[in-house]
Amino acid sequence: MENLIEQLQPILKQVVGYIYPNEVELHWGILIVVYPYITGLVAGAFILASLERVFEVKEVQPTYRLSMLTALAFLIIAPLPLLAHLSYPERSIEIFLTPQLKSAMAMFGFVYAWYLMIVLMLEIWFDYRKDIVYWARSKKGWRKYMYYLLSLGSLDLSEKAIRFDRKAGKFITIIGIPSAFLLHGYVGFIFGSVKANPWWSSVLMPIVFLFSAIVSGIALMILIYGVTTLFRWKPIDMACMDKLASFLLYAMILDISLETLDFIHRMYESVESIHILGQLISQKLFISLVVIQILLGTLLPLGSLASVKLFRLPDELRRLIYFGAAILVQIGIFSTRWNVVIGGQLFSKSLRGLTHYKMELLGIEGLLISIALLFLPLFVLYIIIKILPPWPEAATTPLSSIAKESSQ
Amino acid sequence: MLNFRFRPELRMPGWKSIPFPDQIKRLLIIFIILVIMLITVRNYLMPPTFVKEGHYRAAAIDSILALPIHYAGQEACSECHDEYVALKQTSYHQNVACEVCHGPGANHVEDPSENTPSAPRQRGLCPLCHIYNASKPTGFPQINIVTHNPLEPCMSCHEPHDPKPPQPPEECGACHGEIARTKAVSHHAALECTQCHSAPEAHKKDPRSFRPSKPRKRTFCGGCHGENAESAGEIPRVDLQSHEPDHACWQCHYPHYPEVR
Ligand code: HEC
Ligand code: HEC
Ligand code: HEC
Ligand code: HEC
Ligand code: HEC
Ligand code: HEC
Ligand code: HEC
Ligand code: HEC
Repeated sequence: MENLIEQLQPILKQVVGYIYPNEVELHWGILIVVYPYITGLVAGAFILASLERVFEVKEVQPTYRLSMLTALAFLIIAPLPLLAHLSYPERSIEIFLTPQLKSAMAMFGFVYAWYLMIVLMLEIWFDYRKDIVYWARSKKGWRKYMYYLLSLGSLDLSEKAIRFDRKAGKFITIIGIPSAFLLHGYVGFIFGSVKANPWWSSVLMPIVFLFSAIVSGIALMILIYGVTTLFRWKPIDMACMDKLASFLLYAMILDISLETLDFIHRMYESVESIHILGQLISQKLFISLVVIQILLGTLLPLGSLASVKLFRLPDELRRLIYFGAAILVQIGIFSTRWNVVIGGQLFSKSLRGLTHYKMELLGIEGLLISIALLFLPLFVLYIIIKILPPWPEAATTPLSSIAKESSQ
Repeated sequence: MLNFRFRPELRMPGWKSIPFPDQIKRLLIIFIILVIMLITVRNYLMPPTFVKEGHYRAAAIDSILALPIHYAGQEACSECHDEYVALKQTSYHQNVACEVCHGPGANHVEDPSENTPSAPRQRGLCPLCHIYNASKPTGFPQINIVTHNPLEPCMSCHEPHDPKPPQPPEECGACHGEIARTKAVSHHAALECTQCHSAPEAHKKDPRSFRPSKPRKRTFCGGCHGENAESAGEIPRVDLQSHEPDHACWQCHYPHYPEVR
């Protein structure tokens, strides 16, 4: 008790107005901010990959495999923040064993498993099978066995088998798009369905989440594609970059329109919570919402991406602008998640007071762990890339010729 | 082809005759293995009685049943103490169970002479429910424990099993019980109702036709609280000219209520 009081003392000093005793301390901290951020990147990267596959956007083809692998790497890490947040992570297995169909939270495991096993893994497998077989034959030592295992012994490289791979891959992509929507829409739903919380409760929530996910995923691919190409000393494919940047621009325009719609809707409805939400924005979320999310994370990149469209700029400068915009967008989307998760807990259910979030530095729910979790997917991606290199020169047949075949 | 030493085909009779592409057959095998694993693990880890009755462990009911019982319930008491039960039945405390005050009595019911429940006679018991708290429903009988007959045990005036006030409320409180109760714990506890409302005698007989007066002007309160009012020295003062001049005093300080200071 004494301990607890001591812990809460600094927060209590920042409490304004009237709040209930159990609202002083936030129960969902930065880990729960990291979680929707990461799943957003997964969904975004996957949707970008699907664009190439389903709508056959040739320009972004160099990022197709990379996006798939990125989505996989981030998806593998996505449950970790949740597990770290649980006091008894070992019990999480029980939601699989005794599925409770009426609980949205309990269904996460299934949405996740479906997406990981059926969508991502299968699509990657079908896409890579030909190369895996090739590597299983050409590599030496333990690698040979690893690739053999990965191929599941399906070594048939006949014309018919390869055609089937492509068809299956395309089919999975088509199931994959709604699945990606489901995965991230689901995360938005978790928040949007909390009817007691006026900051969260909104039917638009899943949709807004989804579009911000697409925005963040495309921006991530600009960064990852750019950086990996630089490190491999290859020229950056500017046609691809331009296309990615256009996608980013359009996705951002959609995203900002939806969020503005949500905002206007709330203002117009002006239900009783509007006053406290106004205070929330002007007092507690001013920096993270107005300055970082809207000004830095949305308007500035939007303006710079649009200016690229308006003026003819040299490649060098365009690249810089794309990079800058992508980084700003990442920061912006992270603070979007922050504003939803943390913001939604800062005001009292009495609608009469605000509390304060004090982030730990160390500790399992602290800042350091969160930073580690944010970088862990990149490490996983590095390993996956080592096993399944997505570069055109690593493939058995040039990817362009595959694309040609597939478009026939 | 390259020199590959494995014989990759699964040497299974009839493998070729299954009408699926090779990849699908292999994926299906993996999938089936996974599902079988999940089912096995589930069978092994899931509590055996889990879905029997619903989404919970049915055996949990038995383990709860096995917990020791502490409370006997009011019916059990009537077997031997029917006079108390009868007394309480019609009192204000009819909804307050015996064991709320006397503590768990299951072992007393089993063996009355061995285990006697406590009979809390201190002044501390009753205020657990009756001390003034703004969040209690209006009208719930509440007292200010400091001013309500201090130092005497509650039992000396209120029989706990039939706790009616020693004399029925008279005067205004007979009908305006809630107001009388809240006022009794307010700053104005010591003031008579008639100090602020002049009530014609007929009001008590025909209350709707003969209405008492109510304070109308700020200067009424100023009569006691104004800077220059001729009232007892300890009464807190405000400057009527500058203290929130645009509102009636009771818009902020409803004088019956304790919490509105
Ligand atoms: C089987 C009969 C029986 C039942 C049932 C029973 N009691 Fe008693 N109770 C007694 C007897 C006998 C005494 C007197 C014991 C003594 O004086 O040692 C007693 C004494 C008491 C006392 C007085 C203790 C004191 O300090 O003077 C209280 C209080 C009491 N019972 C409460 C209860 C309550 C409450 C219940 C119901 C949960 C209950 N009893 C059920 C037989 C019973
Ligand atoms: C509001 C609290 C309260 C409730 C409810 C209550 N009692 Fe009591 N009871 C007391 C107190 C206080 C005393 C002590 C009275 C005294 O010493 O004058 C007491 C005394 C007793 C005694 C012992 C009398 C004595 O002289 O030793 C018995 C028996 C008893 N209660 C039984 C019951 C039973 C049976 C019920 C339920 C029908 C019940 N009580 C409900 C507060 C309560
Ligand atoms: C568990 C809570 C509880 C405890 C303990 C309790 N009471 Fe009560 N009391 C009540 C309730 C409930 C009522 C009925 C209120 C109503 O009618 O709205 C009540 C009513 C009363 C009343 C009637 C007031 C009126 O005029 O309406 C009196 C007097 C009283 N209690 C005195 C006591 C005394 C004395 C004790 C201690 C022996 C005591 N109470 C202990 C809950 C409690
Ligand atoms: C000296 C006798 C005496 C004592 C001691 C006493 N009361 Fe009272 N109580 C009364 C009288 C008289 C009334 C009714 C008039 C009034 O409201 O003041 C009353 C009224 C009450 C009421 C009803 C209030 C209402 O708003 O209707 C409650 C509750 C109450 N008493 C509880 C207690 C409690 C609890 C104690 C012990 C802490 C206690 N009393 C001690 C004499 C007493
Ligand atoms: C016989 C029950 C009874 C008694 C005794 C009684 N009143 Fe009333 N009082 C009423 C009723 C009934 C009303 C009307 C309530 C209504 O119409 O909303 C009322 C209304 C009032 C009003 C509000 C008048 C208004 O215009 O809003 C005041 C003030 C008032 N009473 C004060 C008193 C005072 C002071 C006393 C004691 C001297 C008292 N009453 C005694 C029953 C009674
Ligand atoms: C300090 C002065 C003061 C005292 C003492 C006082 N009142 Fe009042 N009362 C007021 C004022 C002021 C109003 C509100 C007038 C208005 O709203 O216009 C009021 C309103 C009322 C009303 C009508 C509105 C309502 O709340 O239902 C009733 C009935 C009433 N009083 C009854 C009583 C009774 C009964 C008592 C004594 C138990 C009492 N008052 C004691 C100042 C007082
Ligand atoms: C008959 C004189 C008298 C009248 C008339 C009167 N009061 Fe009071 N008032 C008092 C007394 C006595 C106190 C108690 C002071 C104490 O707590 O020591 C008090 C206390 C207060 C307090 C609490 C101040 C504090 O912080 O301690 C407020 C507020 C208040 N009165 C408002 C009013 C209002 C509003 C009116 C007009 C409806 C009013 N009073 C009419 C005598 C009066
Ligand atoms: C708009 C709301 C409002 C109105 C109207 C209002 N007051 Fe106050 N009053 C307050 C507040 C808030 C305080 C406590 C803050 C303070 O001490 O200044 C207070 C404090 C007081 C105090 C306690 C001062 C002390 O020293 O403890 C008294 C007495 C008082 N008011 C009487 C009155 C009277 C009499 C009127 C009508 C002439 C009145 N008030 C009108 C809001 C109001």
